[in-house]
Amino acid sequence: MGMTGYVDFGYVTFIALGAYGMSLGITYFYQVEGLGIWIVFIGFLLALLLASLSALLEAFIALRLRGAYFAIACIGINEGLRHFIEGAKLWGGSEGLIFSGSLIQAVGRETANQLTTFWADLAVFIIAALAAFLNIHYMRSKIGYALTAVKEDEDAAKVMGVNTTKYKTIAFLTSGLLGASVGAVAWGLKLGYVFPGDVFVIHYTVECIVVVLLGGAGTLLGPVVGGLIYGLSKYWLAIIWPGFQLLIFAPIIIIIIVLFPEGVVGMLKNRVRGTALERYLL
Amino acid sequence: MLKVENLESGYGSMQVLWQPSIEVKRGAITSLLGPNGVGKSTLLWTILGSVEPWRGSITYEREDVTRLPAHKKVDLGITLVPEGKHLFVEMTVHENLVMGAYRKEALKSMDESLALVYTLFPVLKERAKQKAGSLSGGEQQMVTIARALMTKPTLIMLDEPSQGLAPKLVGEVFATVEKLKAEIGLTILLVEQNAEAALNASDYVYIMHEGTIKAEGTSEKIRKSHEIREAYLGI
Repeated sequence: MGMTGYVDFGYVTFIALGAYGMSLGITYFYQVEGLGIWIVFIGFLLALLLASLSALLEAFIALRLRGAYFAIACIGINEGLRHFIEGAKLWGGSEGLIFSGSLIQAVGRETANQLTTFWADLAVFIIAALAAFLNIHYMRSKIGYALTAVKEDEDAAKVMGVNTTKYKTIAFLTSGLLGASVGAVAWGLKLGYVFPGDVFVIHYTVECIVVVLLGGAGTLLGPVVGGLIYGLSKYWLAIIWPGFQLLIFAPIIIIIIVLFPEGVVGMLKNRVRGTALERYLL
Repeated sequence: MLKVENLESGYGSMQVLWQPSIEVKRGAITSLLGPNGVGKSTLLWTILGSVEPWRGSITYEREDVTRLPAHKKVDLGITLVPEGKHLFVEMTVHENLVMGAYRKEALKSMDESLALVYTLFPVLKERAKQKAGSLSGGEQQMVTIARALMTKPTLIMLDEPSQGLAPKLVGEVFATVEKLKAEIGLTILLVEQNAEAALNASDYVYIMHEGTIKAEGTSEKIRKSHEIREAYLGI
Protein backbone atom coordinates (compact mmCIF):
# COMPACT_ATOMS: atom_id res chain seq x y z
CA MET A 1 0.00 0.00 0.00
CA GLY A 2 2.70 2.48 0.95
CA MET A 3 4.47 1.83 -2.28
CA THR A 4 2.05 3.34 -4.75
CA GLY A 5 1.07 6.33 -2.67
CA TYR A 6 -2.57 5.40 -3.08
CA VAL A 7 -4.03 5.28 0.41
CA ASP A 8 -6.23 2.24 0.32
CA PHE A 9 -9.24 2.70 2.55
CA GLY A 10 -10.58 -0.52 1.15
CA TYR A 11 -8.02 -2.77 2.76
CA VAL A 12 -10.55 -4.14 5.20
CA THR A 13 -12.64 -5.23 2.22
CA PHE A 14 -9.88 -7.67 1.33
CA ILE A 15 -9.75 -9.02 4.85
CA ALA A 16 -13.54 -9.29 4.96
CA LEU A 17 -13.72 -11.07 1.63
CA GLY A 18 -10.98 -13.40 2.82
CA ALA A 19 -13.04 -14.27 5.87
CA TYR A 20 -16.10 -14.74 3.68
CA GLY A 21 -14.22 -16.92 1.20
CA MET A 22 -13.15 -19.29 3.95
CA SER A 23 -16.62 -19.31 5.49
CA LEU A 24 -18.28 -20.01 2.15
CA GLY A 25 -15.88 -22.81 1.37
CA ILE A 26 -16.60 -24.55 4.62
CA THR A 27 -20.34 -23.81 4.74
CA TYR A 28 -21.12 -24.99 1.24
CA PHE A 29 -18.71 -27.87 0.88
CA TYR A 30 -18.68 -29.55 4.29
CA GLN A 31 -21.28 -32.13 3.29
CA VAL A 32 -19.51 -33.16 0.12
CA GLU A 33 -18.17 -36.65 0.67
CA GLY A 34 -14.46 -37.26 0.66
CA LEU A 35 -13.36 -33.63 0.70
CA GLY A 36 -12.49 -33.69 4.39
CA ILE A 37 -9.78 -31.19 5.19
CA TRP A 38 -9.70 -30.00 1.59
CA ILE A 39 -12.66 -27.73 2.30
CA VAL A 40 -10.23 -25.46 4.11
CA PHE A 41 -8.17 -25.20 0.96
CA ILE A 42 -11.27 -24.59 -1.12
CA GLY A 43 -12.19 -21.85 1.34
CA PHE A 44 -8.73 -20.36 0.98
CA LEU A 45 -8.96 -20.42 -2.80
CA LEU A 46 -12.39 -18.78 -2.68
CA ALA A 47 -10.92 -16.11 -0.41
CA LEU A 48 -8.14 -15.43 -2.93
CA LEU A 49 -10.62 -15.38 -5.80
CA LEU A 50 -13.00 -12.93 -4.14
CA ALA A 51 -10.15 -10.68 -3.09
CA SER A 52 -8.63 -10.73 -6.58
CA LEU A 53 -11.94 -9.59 -8.02
CA SER A 54 -12.24 -6.72 -5.57
CA ALA A 55 -8.55 -5.84 -6.01
CA LEU A 56 -9.08 -5.63 -9.75
CA LEU A 57 -12.12 -3.45 -9.14
CA GLU A 58 -10.04 -1.15 -6.96
CA ALA A 59 -7.22 -1.06 -9.48
CA PHE A 60 -9.79 -0.19 -12.14
CA ILE A 61 -10.86 2.76 -9.99
CA ALA A 62 -7.30 3.73 -9.17
CA LEU A 63 -6.65 4.05 -12.89
CA ARG A 64 -9.28 6.74 -13.04
CA LEU A 65 -9.31 8.49 -9.68
CA ARG A 66 -6.48 9.85 -7.60
CA GLY A 67 -5.95 11.01 -4.03
CA ALA A 68 -8.95 11.57 -1.81
CA TYR A 69 -11.39 10.57 -4.56
CA PHE A 70 -9.81 7.15 -4.72
CA ALA A 71 -9.98 6.75 -0.94
CA ILE A 72 -13.66 7.67 -0.92
CA ALA A 73 -14.43 5.27 -3.75
CA CYS A 74 -12.79 2.44 -1.80
CA ILE A 75 -14.84 3.22 1.28
CA GLY A 76 -17.81 3.15 -1.06
CA ILE A 77 -16.96 -0.34 -2.28
CA ASN A 78 -16.58 -1.55 1.29
CA GLU A 79 -19.85 -0.08 2.55
CA GLY A 80 -21.62 -1.05 -0.66
CA LEU A 81 -20.58 -4.68 -0.33
CA ARG A 82 -21.63 -4.82 3.30
CA HIS A 83 -25.07 -3.41 2.59
CA PHE A 84 -25.41 -5.60 -0.46
CA ILE A 85 -24.70 -8.74 1.56
CA GLU A 86 -27.10 -7.61 4.27
CA GLY A 87 -29.82 -6.33 1.96
CA ALA A 88 -29.77 -9.03 -0.69
CA LYS A 89 -29.51 -11.71 2.02
CA LEU A 90 -26.53 -13.01 0.16
CA TRP A 91 -24.35 -15.53 1.98
CA GLY A 92 -26.62 -15.54 5.00
CA GLY A 93 -27.24 -11.78 4.86
CA SER A 94 -26.93 -9.93 8.14
CA GLU A 95 -27.16 -13.19 10.05
CA GLY A 96 -23.77 -14.10 8.70
CA LEU A 97 -22.31 -17.53 8.35
CA ILE A 98 -21.61 -19.71 11.36
CA PHE A 99 -19.60 -22.70 10.34
CA SER A 100 -17.58 -23.99 13.27
CA GLY A 101 -20.09 -26.85 13.53
CA SER A 102 -19.75 -27.66 9.85
CA LEU A 103 -15.99 -27.74 10.15
CA ILE A 104 -16.21 -30.19 13.05
CA GLN A 105 -18.59 -32.37 11.05
CA ALA A 106 -16.28 -32.40 8.05
CA VAL A 107 -12.94 -33.06 9.70
CA GLY A 108 -13.74 -34.19 13.23
CA ARG A 109 -13.46 -32.31 16.50
CA GLU A 110 -9.79 -32.88 17.09
CA THR A 111 -8.61 -31.81 13.66
CA ALA A 112 -10.95 -28.83 13.75
CA ASN A 113 -9.45 -27.71 17.03
CA GLN A 114 -5.94 -28.04 15.69
CA LEU A 115 -6.88 -26.21 12.51
CA THR A 116 -8.40 -23.24 14.29
CA THR A 117 -5.56 -22.87 16.75
CA PHE A 118 -2.15 -24.14 15.77
CA TRP A 119 -2.51 -24.22 11.97
CA ALA A 120 -4.34 -20.91 11.74
CA ASP A 121 -1.65 -19.17 13.79
CA LEU A 122 1.13 -20.82 11.85
CA ALA A 123 -0.52 -19.72 8.60
CA VAL A 124 -0.61 -16.11 9.81
CA PHE A 125 3.13 -16.25 10.47
CA ILE A 126 3.77 -17.76 7.06
CA ILE A 127 1.66 -15.05 5.42
CA ALA A 128 3.54 -12.37 7.35
CA ALA A 129 6.85 -13.85 6.23
CA LEU A 130 5.60 -14.06 2.67
CA ALA A 131 4.46 -10.44 2.82
CA ALA A 132 7.88 -9.37 4.08
CA PHE A 133 9.59 -11.39 1.38
CA LEU A 134 7.40 -9.94 -1.37
CA ASN A 135 7.99 -6.49 0.01
CA ILE A 136 11.77 -6.88 -0.12
CA HIS A 137 11.57 -8.48 -3.52
CA TYR A 138 9.42 -5.67 -4.90
CA MET A 139 11.59 -2.95 -3.41
CA ARG A 140 14.74 -4.36 -4.98
CA SER A 141 13.31 -5.17 -8.38
CA LYS A 142 11.92 -3.30 -11.32
CA ILE A 143 8.48 -3.43 -9.72
CA GLY A 144 9.66 -1.29 -6.81
CA TYR A 145 11.34 1.08 -9.22
CA ALA A 146 8.11 1.47 -11.20
CA LEU A 147 5.92 1.79 -8.11
CA THR A 148 8.20 4.45 -6.63
CA ALA A 149 7.89 6.43 -9.84
CA VAL A 150 4.10 6.07 -9.78
CA LYS A 151 4.00 7.18 -6.15
CA GLU A 152 6.28 10.19 -6.57
CA ASP A 153 4.81 11.47 -9.81
CA GLU A 154 2.50 9.53 -12.04
CA ASP A 155 2.91 11.77 -15.06
CA ALA A 156 6.67 11.53 -14.80
CA ALA A 157 6.36 7.75 -14.54
CA LYS A 158 4.31 7.67 -17.74
CA VAL A 159 6.71 9.72 -19.80
CA MET A 160 9.65 7.56 -18.83
CA GLY A 161 7.77 4.53 -20.04
CA VAL A 162 6.37 2.94 -16.89
CA ASN A 163 3.28 0.89 -17.67
CA THR A 164 1.35 2.51 -14.84
CA THR A 165 -1.75 0.38 -15.40
CA LYS A 166 0.16 -2.85 -15.03
CA TYR A 167 2.05 -1.89 -11.89
CA LYS A 168 -0.94 -0.41 -10.13
CA THR A 169 -2.82 -3.63 -10.81
CA ILE A 170 0.10 -5.68 -9.48
CA ALA A 171 0.18 -3.57 -6.32
CA PHE A 172 -3.53 -3.94 -5.68
CA LEU A 173 -3.55 -7.64 -6.43
CA THR A 174 -0.66 -8.26 -4.06
CA SER A 175 -2.28 -6.26 -1.31
CA GLY A 176 -5.65 -7.91 -1.98
CA LEU A 177 -4.30 -11.45 -1.93
CA LEU A 178 -2.31 -10.90 1.26
CA GLY A 179 -5.25 -9.20 2.95
CA ALA A 180 -7.58 -12.02 1.95
CA SER A 181 -5.12 -14.65 3.21
CA VAL A 182 -5.01 -12.97 6.59
CA GLY A 183 -8.79 -12.64 6.62
CA ALA A 184 -9.26 -16.28 5.66
CA VAL A 185 -7.08 -17.76 8.38
CA ALA A 186 -6.92 -15.19 11.16
CA TRP A 187 -10.59 -14.32 10.95
CA GLY A 188 -12.55 -16.96 9.10
CA LEU A 189 -10.85 -20.16 10.13
CA LYS A 190 -9.95 -19.04 13.62
CA LEU A 191 -13.29 -17.69 14.74
CA GLY A 192 -15.61 -20.04 12.90
CA TYR A 193 -18.16 -17.39 12.02
CA VAL A 194 -18.48 -14.22 9.99
CA PHE A 195 -20.98 -11.36 10.16
CA PRO A 196 -21.01 -8.53 7.62
CA GLY A 197 -21.22 -5.90 10.37
CA ASP A 198 -18.10 -7.32 11.99
CA VAL A 199 -15.77 -7.61 9.07
CA PHE A 200 -16.55 -4.68 6.78
CA VAL A 201 -15.53 -2.18 9.43
CA ILE A 202 -13.75 0.94 8.26
CA HIS A 203 -12.21 1.26 11.72
CA TYR A 204 -9.79 -1.59 10.96
CA THR A 205 -8.66 0.08 7.79
CA VAL A 206 -8.12 3.31 9.64
CA GLU A 207 -6.08 1.44 12.24
CA CYS A 208 -4.04 -0.18 9.47
CA ILE A 209 -3.38 3.19 7.89
CA VAL A 210 -2.43 4.78 11.20
CA VAL A 211 -0.03 1.91 11.86
CA VAL A 212 1.56 2.26 8.44
CA LEU A 213 1.83 6.04 8.64
CA LEU A 214 3.25 5.91 12.17
CA GLY A 215 5.93 3.48 11.14
CA GLY A 216 6.62 4.83 7.69
CA ALA A 217 4.79 4.13 4.43
CA GLY A 218 6.68 2.21 1.79
CA THR A 219 9.15 0.71 4.26
CA LEU A 220 9.37 -2.87 5.41
CA LEU A 221 9.95 -2.31 9.12
CA GLY A 222 7.57 0.64 9.26
CA PRO A 223 4.35 -1.30 9.75
CA VAL A 224 6.02 -3.51 12.38
CA VAL A 225 7.33 -0.54 14.36
CA GLY A 226 4.08 1.35 13.85
CA GLY A 227 2.10 -1.68 14.99
CA LEU A 228 4.18 -2.00 18.14
CA ILE A 229 3.83 1.68 19.00
CA TYR A 230 0.14 1.68 18.22
CA GLY A 231 -0.72 -1.60 19.91
CA LEU A 232 1.30 -1.00 23.05
CA SER A 233 0.26 2.60 23.58
CA LYS A 234 -3.39 1.78 22.98
CA TYR A 235 -3.13 -1.03 25.52
CA TRP A 236 -1.38 1.06 28.17
CA LEU A 237 -3.64 4.05 27.70
CA ALA A 238 -6.62 1.78 28.18
CA ILE A 239 -5.17 0.62 31.50
CA ILE A 240 -4.02 4.01 32.75
CA TRP A 241 -7.09 5.93 31.74
CA PRO A 242 -9.83 3.52 30.83
CA GLY A 243 -12.63 4.90 28.70
CA PHE A 244 -10.62 7.94 27.66
CA GLN A 245 -7.92 6.16 25.73
CA LEU A 246 -9.20 7.13 22.28
CA LEU A 247 -9.62 10.74 23.35
CA ILE A 248 -5.96 10.94 24.32
CA PHE A 249 -4.81 8.67 21.57
CA ALA A 250 -6.09 10.78 18.68
CA PRO A 251 -4.07 13.93 19.51
CA ILE A 252 -0.97 11.80 20.16
CA ILE A 253 -1.27 10.31 16.68
CA ILE A 254 -1.78 13.74 15.17
CA ILE A 255 1.32 15.04 16.94
CA ILE A 256 3.43 12.08 15.81
CA ILE A 257 2.31 12.45 12.23
CA VAL A 258 3.00 16.17 12.23
CA LEU A 259 6.45 15.64 13.77
CA PHE A 260 7.43 12.65 11.61
CA PRO A 261 5.50 12.94 8.38
CA GLU A 262 7.52 10.07 6.96
CA GLY A 263 6.91 7.82 9.93
CA VAL A 264 9.41 6.65 12.51
CA VAL A 265 11.28 4.31 10.19
CA GLY A 266 11.07 6.82 7.34
CA MET A 267 12.66 9.45 9.57
CA LEU A 268 15.41 7.10 10.75
CA LYS A 269 16.03 6.14 7.14
CA ASN A 270 16.61 9.78 6.23
CA ARG A 271 18.96 10.23 9.18
CA VAL A 272 21.19 7.34 8.20
CA ARG A 273 21.11 8.09 4.50
CA GLY A 274 24.52 7.46 3.04
CA THR A 275 25.91 5.66 6.07
CA ALA A 276 26.56 1.96 6.51
CA LEU A 277 23.37 1.59 8.56
CA GLU A 278 21.24 2.39 5.54
CA ARG A 279 21.43 -1.14 4.25
CA TYR A 280 19.78 -2.57 7.35
CA LEU A 281 16.82 -0.21 7.51
CA LEU A 282 14.34 -1.54 5.02
CA MET B 1 8.49 11.42 -38.96
CA LEU B 2 5.30 11.96 -36.96
CA LYS B 3 1.99 12.55 -38.63
CA VAL B 4 -1.23 13.27 -36.79
CA GLU B 5 -4.41 13.26 -38.83
CA ASN B 6 -7.86 14.43 -37.75
CA LEU B 7 -7.27 13.41 -34.17
CA GLU B 8 -10.15 13.52 -31.74
CA SER B 9 -9.91 12.93 -28.01
CA GLY B 10 -10.94 14.32 -24.67
CA TYR B 11 -11.73 13.50 -21.07
CA GLY B 12 -14.91 11.66 -20.17
CA SER B 13 -17.58 12.96 -22.48
CA MET B 14 -15.87 16.30 -23.00
CA GLN B 15 -14.20 16.50 -26.38
CA VAL B 16 -11.02 18.57 -26.38
CA LEU B 17 -9.40 17.82 -29.72
CA TRP B 18 -11.46 18.59 -32.82
CA GLN B 19 -9.49 16.97 -35.61
CA PRO B 20 -6.17 18.77 -35.57
CA SER B 21 -3.65 17.49 -38.13
CA ILE B 22 0.05 18.14 -37.80
CA GLU B 23 3.26 16.81 -39.22
CA VAL B 24 6.61 16.80 -37.46
CA LYS B 25 9.66 16.61 -39.71
CA ARG B 26 12.80 14.75 -38.66
CA GLY B 27 15.49 16.93 -37.13
CA ALA B 28 13.32 20.02 -37.01
CA ILE B 29 11.73 22.05 -34.25
CA THR B 30 8.00 22.17 -34.76
CA SER B 31 5.99 24.44 -32.51
CA LEU B 32 2.40 24.39 -31.42
CA LEU B 33 1.30 27.85 -30.38
CA GLY B 34 -1.92 29.19 -28.98
CA PRO B 35 -3.54 30.49 -25.81
CA ASN B 36 -4.41 28.53 -22.68
CA GLY B 37 -7.01 25.79 -22.81
CA VAL B 38 -7.09 25.14 -26.55
CA GLY B 39 -5.93 21.54 -26.26
CA LYS B 40 -2.20 21.80 -26.86
CA SER B 41 -1.23 19.66 -23.87
CA THR B 42 -4.05 17.23 -24.60
CA LEU B 43 -2.69 16.81 -28.12
CA LEU B 44 0.74 15.92 -26.71
CA TRP B 45 -0.65 13.46 -24.15
CA THR B 46 -2.81 11.88 -26.85
CA ILE B 47 0.20 11.48 -29.12
CA LEU B 48 2.05 9.81 -26.23
CA GLY B 49 -0.89 7.52 -25.65
CA SER B 50 -1.76 8.50 -22.10
CA VAL B 51 -5.02 10.09 -23.25
CA GLU B 52 -6.90 7.69 -25.47
CA PRO B 53 -7.63 8.84 -29.02
CA TRP B 54 -11.27 8.58 -30.10
CA ARG B 55 -10.85 8.94 -33.83
CA GLY B 56 -8.16 9.91 -36.29
CA SER B 57 -4.69 8.50 -36.70
CA ILE B 58 -1.14 8.90 -35.46
CA THR B 59 1.66 7.66 -37.70
CA TYR B 60 5.24 7.43 -36.51
CA GLU B 61 8.02 6.45 -38.93
CA ARG B 62 5.30 5.28 -41.35
CA GLU B 63 3.81 2.95 -38.78
CA ASP B 64 0.33 3.32 -37.38
CA VAL B 65 0.75 3.93 -33.65
CA THR B 66 -2.68 5.41 -32.92
CA ARG B 67 -3.65 2.86 -30.28
CA LEU B 68 -0.20 2.17 -28.83
CA PRO B 69 -0.04 2.74 -25.04
CA ALA B 70 2.43 5.26 -23.63
CA HIS B 71 5.07 2.79 -22.45
CA LYS B 72 5.30 1.24 -25.92
CA LYS B 73 5.68 4.70 -27.46
CA VAL B 74 8.61 5.36 -25.15
CA ASP B 75 10.20 2.19 -26.55
CA LEU B 76 9.79 3.63 -30.03
CA GLY B 77 11.70 6.74 -28.97
CA ILE B 78 8.89 9.16 -28.23
CA THR B 79 8.85 10.99 -24.93
CA LEU B 80 7.23 13.99 -23.35
CA VAL B 81 8.49 16.60 -20.91
CA PRO B 82 5.31 17.47 -19.03
CA GLU B 83 4.27 20.97 -18.12
CA GLY B 84 5.30 22.10 -14.66
CA LYS B 85 8.05 20.42 -12.74
CA HIS B 86 7.35 16.73 -12.61
CA LEU B 87 10.49 15.80 -10.75
CA PHE B 88 11.07 13.24 -8.04
CA VAL B 89 11.82 16.05 -5.61
CA GLU B 90 13.01 13.86 -2.74
CA MET B 91 15.60 12.13 -4.92
CA THR B 92 18.95 13.50 -5.98
CA VAL B 93 19.52 14.83 -9.47
CA HIS B 94 21.52 11.72 -10.30
CA GLU B 95 18.76 9.42 -9.03
CA ASN B 96 16.22 11.32 -11.11
CA LEU B 97 18.31 10.73 -14.20
CA VAL B 98 18.76 7.04 -13.43
CA MET B 99 14.98 6.73 -13.00
CA GLY B 100 14.63 8.09 -16.51
CA ALA B 101 16.49 5.12 -17.97
CA TYR B 102 13.68 2.79 -17.02
CA ARG B 103 12.93 0.89 -20.21
CA LYS B 104 15.18 -2.02 -21.08
CA GLU B 105 16.80 -0.38 -24.09
CA ALA B 106 17.38 2.84 -22.18
CA LEU B 107 18.93 0.94 -19.27
CA LYS B 108 21.46 -0.75 -21.55
CA SER B 109 22.89 2.56 -22.68
CA MET B 110 22.49 4.35 -19.37
CA ASP B 111 26.17 5.25 -18.91
CA GLU B 112 26.29 6.68 -22.39
CA SER B 113 23.14 8.71 -21.84
CA LEU B 114 24.43 9.97 -18.49
CA ALA B 115 27.66 11.15 -20.08
CA LEU B 116 25.72 12.89 -22.83
CA VAL B 117 23.35 14.58 -20.40
CA TYR B 118 26.18 15.79 -18.18
CA THR B 119 28.01 17.24 -21.18
CA LEU B 120 24.88 19.02 -22.33
CA PHE B 121 24.11 20.31 -18.83
CA PRO B 122 27.40 20.66 -16.95
CA VAL B 123 25.60 22.35 -14.07
CA LEU B 124 23.68 19.14 -13.39
CA LYS B 125 26.93 17.30 -12.87
CA GLU B 126 27.85 19.79 -10.14
CA ARG B 127 24.42 19.29 -8.59
CA ALA B 128 24.31 15.51 -9.10
CA LYS B 129 24.20 14.70 -5.37
CA GLN B 130 21.74 17.44 -4.45
CA LYS B 131 18.04 16.82 -3.94
CA ALA B 132 16.16 17.76 -7.09
CA GLY B 133 13.66 19.74 -5.06
CA SER B 134 16.38 22.08 -3.78
CA LEU B 135 17.37 23.28 -7.25
CA SER B 136 16.33 26.59 -8.81
CA GLY B 137 13.42 26.68 -11.24
CA GLY B 138 15.63 26.80 -14.31
CA GLU B 139 17.79 23.94 -13.09
CA GLN B 140 14.74 21.84 -12.28
CA GLN B 141 13.50 22.35 -15.83
CA MET B 142 16.90 21.14 -17.03
CA VAL B 143 16.61 18.01 -14.91
CA THR B 144 13.16 17.25 -16.38
CA ILE B 145 14.54 17.61 -19.89
CA ALA B 146 17.64 15.62 -18.99
CA ARG B 147 15.55 12.82 -17.49
CA ALA B 148 13.54 12.67 -20.70
CA LEU B 149 16.80 12.34 -22.64
CA MET B 150 17.66 9.28 -20.53
CA THR B 151 14.85 7.38 -22.29
CA LYS B 152 16.94 7.67 -25.51
CA PRO B 153 14.29 9.50 -27.49
CA THR B 154 14.34 10.44 -31.14
CA LEU B 155 11.27 12.62 -30.80
CA ILE B 156 10.89 14.75 -27.70
CA MET B 157 7.75 16.70 -26.95
CA LEU B 158 8.18 19.68 -24.65
CA ASP B 159 5.13 21.10 -22.92
CA GLU B 160 5.71 24.76 -22.06
CA PRO B 161 9.31 24.43 -20.93
CA SER B 162 9.60 28.17 -20.28
CA GLN B 163 6.54 28.37 -18.02
CA GLY B 164 7.11 30.14 -14.75
CA LEU B 165 10.72 31.03 -15.49
CA ALA B 166 12.37 34.43 -15.25
CA PRO B 167 12.85 36.12 -18.66
CA LYS B 168 16.57 35.51 -18.56
CA LEU B 169 16.03 31.79 -17.97
CA VAL B 170 13.47 31.61 -20.77
CA GLY B 171 16.29 32.44 -23.17
CA GLU B 172 18.39 29.70 -21.61
CA VAL B 173 15.66 27.09 -22.02
CA PHE B 174 15.23 27.94 -25.68
CA ALA B 175 18.99 27.81 -26.17
CA THR B 176 18.84 24.32 -24.68
CA VAL B 177 16.06 23.28 -27.02
CA GLU B 178 18.06 24.46 -30.03
CA LYS B 179 21.07 22.63 -28.67
CA LEU B 180 19.09 19.38 -28.54
CA LYS B 181 18.36 19.79 -32.22
CA ALA B 182 21.81 20.91 -33.30
CA GLU B 183 24.02 18.68 -31.16
CA ILE B 184 22.14 15.40 -30.90
CA GLY B 185 19.84 15.75 -33.86
CA LEU B 186 16.65 15.32 -31.88
CA THR B 187 13.29 16.00 -33.44
CA ILE B 188 11.32 18.38 -31.27
CA LEU B 189 7.65 19.15 -30.89
CA LEU B 190 7.33 22.23 -28.74
CA VAL B 191 4.22 23.61 -27.09
CA GLU B 192 4.54 27.22 -26.02
CA GLN B 193 2.65 30.28 -24.92
CA ASN B 194 5.69 32.47 -25.28
CA ALA B 195 5.06 32.98 -29.00
CA GLU B 196 7.91 35.38 -29.70
CA ALA B 197 10.62 33.11 -28.34
CA ALA B 198 9.09 30.00 -29.91
CA LEU B 199 8.89 31.65 -33.34
CA ASN B 200 12.57 32.44 -33.15
CA ALA B 201 13.53 28.89 -32.31
CA SER B 202 11.17 26.94 -34.59
CA ASP B 203 11.37 25.74 -38.14
CA TYR B 204 7.66 25.20 -38.57
CA VAL B 205 4.71 26.47 -36.59
CA TYR B 206 1.13 25.38 -36.05
CA ILE B 207 -1.41 27.70 -34.48
CA MET B 208 -3.93 25.89 -32.38
CA HIS B 209 -7.30 27.27 -31.37
CA GLU B 210 -10.45 25.66 -29.98
CA GLY B 211 -9.05 22.18 -30.28
CA THR B 212 -7.92 22.35 -33.87
CA ILE B 213 -5.26 23.84 -36.13
CA LYS B 214 -6.20 27.27 -37.44
CA ALA B 215 -3.02 28.21 -39.26
CA GLU B 216 0.38 26.84 -40.09
CA GLY B 217 3.58 27.80 -41.84
CA THR B 218 7.27 28.40 -41.48
CA SER B 219 8.12 30.78 -38.65
CA GLU B 220 8.98 33.37 -41.31
CA LYS B 221 5.52 33.17 -42.75
CA ILE B 222 3.74 33.30 -39.41
CA ARG B 223 5.85 36.22 -38.26
CA LYS B 224 5.03 38.17 -41.41
CA SER B 225 1.31 37.52 -41.32
CA HIS B 226 -0.33 40.35 -39.39
CA GLU B 227 -3.63 38.54 -39.50
CA ILE B 228 -2.40 35.43 -37.73
CA ARG B 229 -0.40 37.36 -35.20
CA GLU B 230 -3.29 39.57 -34.25
CA ALA B 231 -5.98 36.91 -34.28
CA TYR B 232 -4.21 34.17 -32.36
CA LEU B 233 -0.94 35.27 -30.85
CA GLY B 234 -1.55 38.77 -29.66
CA ILE B 235 1.92 39.98 -30.67
